[in-house]
Formats: sequence, C-alpha cells, structure tokens
Amino acid sequence: MSKNDDLPDDVTLRDHEYDGIQEYDQKLPNWWLFTFYITIVWFVVAWLAYYQLPIHLPDDHERLNGRLALIEERKRTELEGMLASLTNESLREMSENPQHTAAGRAVYEAKCLACHGPDLSATLNGAPLPGVPLDDNEWKYGSTPLDIMNIVTNGSPDVTKGMIPWKSQLSGSEIAQVVSYILNHQPQ
Amino acid sequence: MLTAKKPNLESLTSINPDGSRYFLHPADVHGKYTLWRRLFGAGLLAVYVLLPWIPVGGHPAIFFNLAELRFHFFGLTFFAEDLWIGFFLLTGLGFGLFYVTALFGRLWCGWACPYTVFLEHVYRRIERFIDGDSLARRKLDTARWNGEKIFKRLLKHGLFILISLLIAHVFISYFVSLPRLYEYMQQSPLNHAKAFGVMVFLTGSLYFSFSWFREQFCIILCPYGRIQSTLTDDDTIVIGYDEGRGEPRGKKSDPGTGDCIACNRCVQVCPTGIDIRNGLQLECIGCANCIDACNQVMDKTGRPRGLIRYDSSRGLAGKRTRFWRPRIALYTALMCLGIAVLGGFLTGLRSAKIELIRMPGQPFYVDDHEVRNQLRLHLATKQSQATRFRISVSDLPDGAVVSGIEDAVILEPGEETMKTVLIRMPVERYTGRFQVTFQARVSPGDFAISDSIEFLGPSAYTLE
Repeated sequence: MSKNDDLPDDVTLRDHEYDGIQEYDQKLPNWWLFTFYITIVWFVVAWLAYYQLPIHLPDDHERLNGRLALIEERKRTELEGMLASLTNESLREMSENPQHTAAGRAVYEAKCLACHGPDLSATLNGAPLPGVPLDDNEWKYGSTPLDIMNIVTNGSPDVTKGMIPWKSQLSGSEIAQVVSYILNHQPQ
Repeated sequence: MLTAKKPNLESLTSINPDGSRYFLHPADVHGKYTLWRRLFGAGLLAVYVLLPWIPVGGHPAIFFNLAELRFHFFGLTFFAEDLWIGFFLLTGLGFGLFYVTALFGRLWCGWACPYTVFLEHVYRRIERFIDGDSLARRKLDTARWNGEKIFKRLLKHGLFILISLLIAHVFISYFVSLPRLYEYMQQSPLNHAKAFGVMVFLTGSLYFSFSWFREQFCIILCPYGRIQSTLTDDDTIVIGYDEGRGEPRGKKSDPGTGDCIACNRCVQVCPTGIDIRNGLQLECIGCANCIDACNQVMDKTGRPRGLIRYDSSRGLAGKRTRFWRPRIALYTALMCLGIAVLGGFLTGLRSAKIELIRMPGQPFYVDDHEVRNQLRLHLATKQSQATRFRISVSDLPDGAVVSGIEDAVILEPGEETMKTVLIRMPVERYTGRFQVTFQARVSPGDFAISDSIEFLGPSAYTLE
C-alpha cells in the first residue's frame, strides 16, 4: 500500500501485486450485483423445477414434438371422422354441390394438376403427364367414390410407383372435396 | 448532501463507495453545441417517429413486416430469402462506426445515439421542467415527502410512463403496420397477447432506462462504449482540456495562474459525472456540454474560448493532428470494400424471381417415342403492383418441345405461382443431357431474370 496517499479517500489499492500491477478494491454497483443475485435465485428455481421436484417440465424438443403430435392427432381424427361419415352416396351428393367442387378445384390445381393435367386428361398441350387420366370413367383400383377417396388418402397400392399418399398433406375434408371435383368431371 | 461529489479517475462518480447509486443532476448549459445538439436531436426524433408514416413506393419508408416476412426500405422490398444482405448492412454499419470513432471518438454517443437522444432531449427536459434546475432537483431528492414532492414525483413519473408508452408504440409500428397497430390498440390486450407483451416489456424497459438507469448504460453496459478505447488513438478528435493553457488553476486575480479559474462548471454540467480536466475517460460520451460551459466562463473572464474543445490528444499537447494513420487507411479500405459489396448485391437484387424445380418422383420418363422431363416453374414478384412476366426458353436443342408455359404471366402484387412445365425430346434426337434456360422479362422495371436446369434422360447406352 505504497501510493495510497495519491488516491481519493474512498479508494483503496489491494496489496496483491503482479508485474507491478495492482488492483483497486472497489465495490461493484449494487444493481450489477443484483443481476447476479437474480441468476442465483433463477438457478435455485430451475434446479428445483427440473431436477428435484416430481414435476416434468417439457424441453423445447418435447414441446415441438408434442405440438406436432397434436396436429397429427387432430388430422387423423378429422380424417377418420370424415371417412366414417362418408358414403358413396354422400360423396356423389357432394359432387353435385358447386361449393364443394369449387373448393375441390382449388385443391386439385394446387396438388394434382402437375401430374393429372389442367383438364384431368393427364396431358399438357397434348403431351402426356405422369398421372392417369381422371376424365374417362376408367379406374385402376376400384371405381366407387370411396375407392377413389382411399387412393387419394393412402396412395397407390403399388408402392413402387404411382400416386403418393396425400393424407399427410391434405385434410379429410380437402380430400373429400377433391374427390367430389373429380367425380363431377366424369362423363355421364 | 447538497455539495456535489468530486470526480476522480479511480472510481465512478455515479456509484457510491458502498455500491449504491449516486444520482447525477447535470446543471443547465447553453451554447453553440447545446443548441445544435438539441436541433439535431429534434430532427432525429422526428425521423424516428415519422419513418413508419411516410410512404415510399406504397409502403412505409422503413417497415419490417413481420406478419408477411417482408422488409420495406425506402421503396426497396426484401423478402426473408434476402436476409443475408443484412449481414453486409450490419458489418457495413459496424465499419462505418469504426471509421467515425477513429476520427471523432464517441461522436455517435453524444449526438446521434437514440438512447442519448431520448434521455437528453425528452426525459431530462421533462425532469428539468417539473423539478427545476440542478440545485432544485438535488434539494427535492433529499427533501422529506410532502404534498409538493408527491405531486412532482407522480407528475414526472406519470409523464415518463406516458412517453415510454408512446416510444414503445412507435417502435412497434416499425414491425406492425399502423392501421393494424391502431386496430390492436382498440381491442382487448388478450387478442394480441404477444404484441401487447412486447409493448409492456418495451415500455417498462424504456421507463426503467430513462428514469433510473440512465448513464449507467453508456458507462457500463453499452458494447460500443466498451470497444471505443481500442478504436481511438492520439490523433482522434475527442473532447479535451488544454492543460498547457489551463494549469495551474486559480483565480484570475492571482498572478501565475493559467486560464482555468477552477469554477467547476465543466464538472457540474457533465451528464456522466466526470471531470474532463482529468483527461479522456471511458465515461465520456462526447456530448460537448463542458465545452459550452467552459466557453461561457471564458467569455465572462475575457479569455479566448476553447480551453475545453474538440481536439486530438496531440492537438491539445500543441502538436499537429495527423489525419492519415494506418488505422484510418485500414478503416477506409474496409468501408469502401463494404460499400462496394453491398452496392453490388443491391443492384443485383431483383424485384421478381424465377426458379425451375424438378418435379419430385421420377426424374424423367421414357417411352418409345420420347424422353420427358417434368418441371415446375416458380414465379414470384416482390413489387407492389401487378407484374408481368414474358417467358422465353433458350438453349433448346433441335427437336425439343416445351409445353405448359404461356407467353405472359401476370401476378398480383406480392403474389407467387407454380406452373407445370413439360419438356419433350424425341428419342431418336436425344443424345444426352443438356441445359435449358428459362428467361423472363419482367415489367414494370423491364429487366430479365433467368434460371437453368438440366434436362435429364437415360444414358445413350440404354437407348441403343
């Protein structure tokens, strides 16, 4: 404590010296210490909540997966409810309803058009597209409205090629709408 | 305690030895720099508040549209995919700040930083208006609670909270459009809990910062303040005290004294509580209050102004300030590089987009007659008016036919679309893969954008 005479009254120099460098012995601002105390309190709370008490707090992963599972679950129940309530007759009825077919058209244009063509003929300006034509009353895997519904929902039975399952991308009502749109475009 | 603390180099004036806070009450100051600083601050405040109101090209001048993930900047529109340009903007601003700091020290802090602008030109003015000058404020601080003190405190903090609410709303209007913000404000907070929560948090932070925390932020927390000492050198223009002229301090009547009459005005007006006569210190935010204060005193004593002035350490020591130093050359080069890169990217940025995507599934189809590739053509416009795409295909080998594209596609403002495109090539003419380029001439704007994709097919071996 050699040069303390030059220092203001409140300021002291610590004895410890290293390479001729000494430190002042001053208090941190209280507000700064307070932020440190908050982290201690936070640690106790987190330690109790996550490690000691028998409550399970989900982490980000679990929360995300939980939300995703919830969405999947809702979709599944909606689809199941839709499939249970639908019959060949009700689907035919839907295909007569312009409101349903208009909604189905929007779904078709967003998802199906790329392979089945803008006019359901599976051609684009005369060039063949990968899908099968949907305007000829010819069906590969069953011709009832529920069969068609099943193909759209679960995809082609031949898993090596052809239609993919749409149940993860479309809701039950969207599938019903697009099926009613297709039914509406069958030659009588 | 009505006598102010005497600042020293070893400790912070604003923190007492026991760690508690010592509230500074800077005295009033008038002069050239104060006037200019107030005018500049008022201009900045107007800019902050008006930017979301002034439409440029159909959108507010600066608008981070969080709902649609679009960013409007003086007529330019950026989508989320253009976010990478922000890297150059931020680094550019960073180098710009390096540059200014190397030349002029903490000019930014004292004149242009929003924190200072709000604190000095809004909150402190309100405090001055209600509580009176420095002495009156210190008296009020130590006074017993009585009717007058309660009234003044309620009024001051009420106004502080009101102003904080206003600033928080202005801030949110940079992210949520004004009509929508107005709509939010008329509804129950629960309808827009997140926006409301942000607003409450902001209001609380602003109120806390400007009513209590104040200079602590600039002195201890602000990262820019912390790195400035590595950016400045002896040739940086800072606010300094001309020791050669001022020392030894003393009364004017005493013979052998310098120009400083030890009146302490420079200390009283300092918003961070330092004595500038101790030299450049980390607390100094370069506000120039002490220059104005000292100049007034010099005028009164009939001595030339500039005992405290904007000058470099070398200049204050009577030497010549050098402009060109290695760091200035380096910062200039870095800044020019940054501007060139940013400029290059900005001029290359188009307000429309074309993209070719291969259809998922089989990459190509072959039958007896032809090889087919199925693609999706993604078009998008960032313009605020209906946009017309005239599409053409180049590099197409003889025999190849493209179907599915129309000559012109018109998109509504901000719309995008996917078109199915089919490329066919007769088997007998197919000799291998080739590159196809789709070009779109976009109007308004009249510029061309293009994208290429490879036409895939079986190897020539399988065909034979």
